[in-house]
Amino acid sequence: MTLLIIRPDSWNLPLLLHVGGAMALVASVTVAAVALVQGWRTSDPTAASLKRFGARTLLYAAIPSYFAMRIAAEWVASREHLENSNAAWLGDGYLAADGGGILLLIATIVANLAVRRAPDSGLGKLAKVGAGLSLILVALYVFAIWAMTTKPS
Amino acid sequence: MGYSTLLFLHVTSAFAMVTAAGLFLAIALALRSGRHSASAMRFVPVAGILWPVGGLLAIVFGVWLTLHDSQYSLGDGWILAAIVLWVIGSAIGGRLGAGYRKLASSGATPDPATLVLNLALLVTLLVILIDMIYKPGAS
Repeated sequence: MTLLIIRPDSWNLPLLLHVGGAMALVASVTVAAVALVQGWRTSDPTAASLKRFGARTLLYAAIPSYFAMRIAAEWVASREHLENSNAAWLGDGYLAADGGGILLLIATIVANLAVRRAPDSGLGKLAKVGAGLSLILVALYVFAIWAMTTKPS
Repeated sequence: MGYSTLLFLHVTSAFAMVTAAGLFLAIALALRSGRHSASAMRFVPVAGILWPVGGLLAIVFGVWLTLHDSQYSLGDGWILAAIVLWVIGSAIGGRLGAGYRKLASSGATPDPATLVLNLALLVTLLVILIDMIYKPGAS
């Protein structure tokens, strides 16, 4: 494990973009989840505002962060010549990234659809689905961090 | 605890810090528009827990990693730089968190420097990340 502590310099920029993108992704999905869950828990007028904030955060912060993380992941993999690797931790990473990408897309669509359909009311069923998916994504990302840092065989 | 477990805990704590910084920024952006300030205050309790817990665990597991692995030393330039940056970030985050808590409890006016402090915190966290990835001076 300690052999990997000092990397070739050419790996650093893609890794920085990958980790930075992942941090921005986790932060923005968590912010959206907090907004949507807080909106779920209240019936006062702030619910509509929280729903809108959560939906917009997914669309304008989480989606771009996802692309930064995912594109940089391919860049790192090519630098490390891992394109054809069967390592379990890499498979876990792809599962979390690609499976999570689909969940993120669905969460973003349903949350923004909920805002479009009822901009001035509480969460409703669609936005609650978005809230639930956001929470699942946060758990999936913790699993991804575990897989990327411990690299289980 | 093994190296991998310590690294996982250190990195997860760092993610928690960045998430708290994201919540701080969300509060600042919502406060810019007066009609969203009530919504913004709903982020304060979560950010108020994530920031100190994430920050404390990040430094504890970071130092633990350094002591655990013979390749690292607390005297290494990039590690010292990270600790100094962590202190700066903690001071900024602590001030932001305290300001938001005061705002939530008393309804006081937001500090005009809030947005600047948020940007300073994000820049500090970015420089820490660059330091952690590039490890300048490490052999």
